[in-house]
Amino acid sequence: MKKKKLSPSVCFSYIFLTILSVMCVFPLLWLLVSAFKSSGEMLANPTSFFPREWTLENFKTVLFTLNFTVNIKNSLIVALITTVIATTVSALAAYGIIRFFPKLGDIMTKLLITTYMFPSIMLVIPYAVVMRTIHLTNSRVGLVLVYMSFSVPYAVWMLVGFFKTVPIAIEESGRIDGANRFQVFTTLVLPLVRPGLVSTAIYVFINAWNEFLYALLLISSSSKQTLSVAVKTLEGADILNWGSMMAASAIVVLPSIIFFCLIQNKIAGGLADGAVK
Amino acid sequence: MNLNRRLRNNSGGINGSNTTRWFFVLPALAIVICLLIYPLMSTLVYSFTNKTMTKTTFKVIGLANYISVLKDPAFFSAFGHSLLWTAGSVLGQVIVGFIGALSLNQVKNKKIQNVFRICAIIPWAFPAIATAMVWKWMLNGIYGFIPTSLVNLGLTNEMLQFLSTSQLVMPTLMFINVWFGAPMILVNVFAALQTIPQDQYEAAQIDGASSRQSFLYITAPHIRTVVGLLVVLRTVWVFNNFDMIYMITAGGPAGASSTMPLYIYDTGWTGMMVGKASAASMLLLMFLILLCVLYFLVIRRWEKED
Amino acid sequence: MKKIFSMFLAALLLSTCLTGCGDSDSAGGKNSQTPQQANSSDSGKALKGEITFWHCFTQGVRMEAVQAAADSFMKDNPDVTINIETMSWGDFNTKWKAGITTGDLPDMSIAQNTGEVAEMLNAEMLAPIENVVSAVGADRFSENALADMTKNDTKYGVPYYSHAQVMWYRQDLLENAGLSVPKTWDQFRETAAELTKDGVYGAGVSMSPNDLLCTRYLNYYVRSGGGSLLNDDLTANLTSDLALDGIRFWVDVYQNCSPAETINYTVNDHATMFYQGITAFDFNSGFMISGVAGNREDLLDSISCAPLPVMKEGDPYYSAETTHIPLVIWKNSKHPEICEAFIEYLFKDDNYVEFLSAVPVGMLPSLAGIADLDAYKTNETIVRFSDEAAVITDAVNNGRAIGFEHGPSVQAGLLTSQGIIENMFQDIVTNGTDVAEAAKNAETRLNEIFSTQAE
Repeated sequence: MKKKKLSPSVCFSYIFLTILSVMCVFPLLWLLVSAFKSSGEMLANPTSFFPREWTLENFKTVLFTLNFTVNIKNSLIVALITTVIATTVSALAAYGIIRFFPKLGDIMTKLLITTYMFPSIMLVIPYAVVMRTIHLTNSRVGLVLVYMSFSVPYAVWMLVGFFKTVPIAIEESGRIDGANRFQVFTTLVLPLVRPGLVSTAIYVFINAWNEFLYALLLISSSSKQTLSVAVKTLEGADILNWGSMMAASAIVVLPSIIFFCLIQNKIAGGLADGAVK
Repeated sequence: MNLNRRLRNNSGGINGSNTTRWFFVLPALAIVICLLIYPLMSTLVYSFTNKTMTKTTFKVIGLANYISVLKDPAFFSAFGHSLLWTAGSVLGQVIVGFIGALSLNQVKNKKIQNVFRICAIIPWAFPAIATAMVWKWMLNGIYGFIPTSLVNLGLTNEMLQFLSTSQLVMPTLMFINVWFGAPMILVNVFAALQTIPQDQYEAAQIDGASSRQSFLYITAPHIRTVVGLLVVLRTVWVFNNFDMIYMITAGGPAGASSTMPLYIYDTGWTGMMVGKASAASMLLLMFLILLCVLYFLVIRRWEKED
Repeated sequence: MKKIFSMFLAALLLSTCLTGCGDSDSAGGKNSQTPQQANSSDSGKALKGEITFWHCFTQGVRMEAVQAAADSFMKDNPDVTINIETMSWGDFNTKWKAGITTGDLPDMSIAQNTGEVAEMLNAEMLAPIENVVSAVGADRFSENALADMTKNDTKYGVPYYSHAQVMWYRQDLLENAGLSVPKTWDQFRETAAELTKDGVYGAGVSMSPNDLLCTRYLNYYVRSGGGSLLNDDLTANLTSDLALDGIRFWVDVYQNCSPAETINYTVNDHATMFYQGITAFDFNSGFMISGVAGNREDLLDSISCAPLPVMKEGDPYYSAETTHIPLVIWKNSKHPEICEAFIEYLFKDDNYVEFLSAVPVGMLPSLAGIADLDAYKTNETIVRFSDEAAVITDAVNNGRAIGFEHGPSVQAGLLTSQGIIENMFQDIVTNGTDVAEAAKNAETRLNEIFSTQAE
């Protein structure tokens, strides 16, 4: 029998979360609502929130006339592949570092963080030169490779922290049962760090999806260009179409949120207490 | 028996055969080394030359770039802004994210928890260009929603110019950065909280521990390594963040919001002095390495206590 | 778990193969293997090959007009492929500068203005364009425009369209206040100040270092006094009495007639204010019309333009800034003959008029004779704004790009691309720095950059 206690901490939590949610959701709402306004309306009535007339013309222009569907496809390909590869490689590495190279691994994780110490504006030209040397310029494969540079270190970093929470007893019992190293890894350890895997995957996906500078300079064909660069091209110097900008921005923001909604229930769920026999 | 012998000849973990060990670690190692070494070398070399963006030839000029950077007042001003920006943003993000994660943990109804979590993740989905556009509009000094509301609510007398007043611009930018970055901390801390075995809390409750004690002795130790690592990473990222400030204020007004990455951009791309920008990047690297070494000393102490 | 894992790996390998296969054609580079045709566009010899054209007309009718021209050119020359890549104006500069090191450069492109062409020439990236000039007719182009893109007696760019800066005003606001169109700078300042009330601002002064508005405005003032922002030896001149007066003038206008917000504004943000009806005066080209038409059509009847204010009554007419948007061919191109043929094709009457009608009065023809063509003349907007078009055309014919009164130079281009003058204004307004001191500092910084760039 559960009695609902309204303790002050629960109360505070709800209030805090509500305020937080409002602040987080409001800009998105504004973006979405503005995307349905006809172009002139945004400037004519900058303070009004709802459109006088709801119109789909911005979305139509952006998706079909400006061919954003191609860009969406490209972004999806690049972001998903990056996520899959980065998470896989990093999970392997993080586990390996903890179990097999405890001392060396320590140095390795610290080394990983140096990859973030250069601002990307300085890295982009060396990367472009590297891509040119291995003949992967203007290719999405090349872009995925470069995206590894900022995805893998973070993923390894975070997963090391999560893997450390797995008690060694579980793995030992698995070994006693006759499983080999790899099986222990996949069947016993991975499920336990699933929350960590999922939150890492989300992070990698969103960063790859939103990345701009590398995509701008490493991909030159519009047919292969990703979404975030395509949105930026709408910023004309002579003519700025606010309606299209809003619609395009809404299109960039929504998939990340949808992706999160789809896998977010995998984040919850922790240590299964039945794992250790 | 077999198991005991294996456990005895390890260096801290279950050892495996050589190939298995390397199989796990090699892919990531290969990627990082390849993608780290060349830019590092390239930047190091350029920092000693007079390379410009538009010419492919250059000559070595020794330490001239470093001297020029260290004599540039804009460099130190940018450095100071970077420190302020980083400290304020990371602190804000950690505090808000932490409280958010703890609060979320208190919500027992899974459906409501999901709703809150989805709401919290939204800022993170915004690319820099969308963040800049939305916030510039909302903070606009002529018709922006926020200054107007503040006036309407009687909190201020006139429309506050959030982005064009040099005193307000950094706090405003930090606020936007907290809005943007707290979700990531929230999600990660929340995930870490899920890894704490429930039975520990139950045992503590049986022993009569207060919620504060269970926080200090159960929650904190379990997640502090994860959170600690996250803070280190976040610090480095925020320090090197370029997009957000560039798109909102481009470092203005009068350099009031110019941080290190913007200084490097101005020098290397706008001013086209790649050599000088590389020198500034190397100095930035050295500072960040120092910062991280300090962080790690702290975390090492925590790990020893675990 | 293991099954899911192996499925993951399989899917991953598969998708990598697919994208890899798709990209392998272009991974080897954009250049085709067909042998070169070394002759220019002779209708007798067939053109063969692939070129890439970078431009920044990213939206609307302009983009479609260029694509349509490319499509019909490709139909006429079936062995030719023209790949058009669009990008925002700001990114264009980033891309070609990075491209010098990374090798990612187009065969032909536009440029933002003649100043950028000077930068490209300084980097030695352009191929001569003499063939196009002679094919289209050297006398049909504006002499000034061609001169601005000439180095060592060779021409490297042709103007695709032109515009110039004039003063726009809101007729209705002036009439309601009983004020007349200002002719001098002092009159302008007074009128703008008087109109700054009730939610309307007289004039904006925008200072984002990412853009060039302060340099532009200062240039107007200095040119009206017969001076220049560059000395004859191409060093910067921000400390002459005329320049200092100009700086004080615009700081004054900012403080009395402009929203404080504009200290961070770029050209886009700034123009948006006029489109929204917030400002009474603005300085712009004919692009103002399409901006207002797209956002506040109700204001379209109330806007008009006049030549830039002069220093004192009776001063001679002057035009401070003319912009020609050039077309250039890049040195690395393997098919300059295709580029030349395509550029000539773009200038053919029907194609050209179609392109120009995308932004009528905004994009003025850079070729003589086009304005007389019926197809051009009868455009609705041109008819409606014929007076304004005349004012702007006068300005186009009589002006040069900023700093180009000394001839083309990379220094002139650097004046507008470095944001130093904008930073100076921000400094004066935010920190209260003394004008003469701020100007001296800015001048020194500019000269520093000049000396590192222009060897």
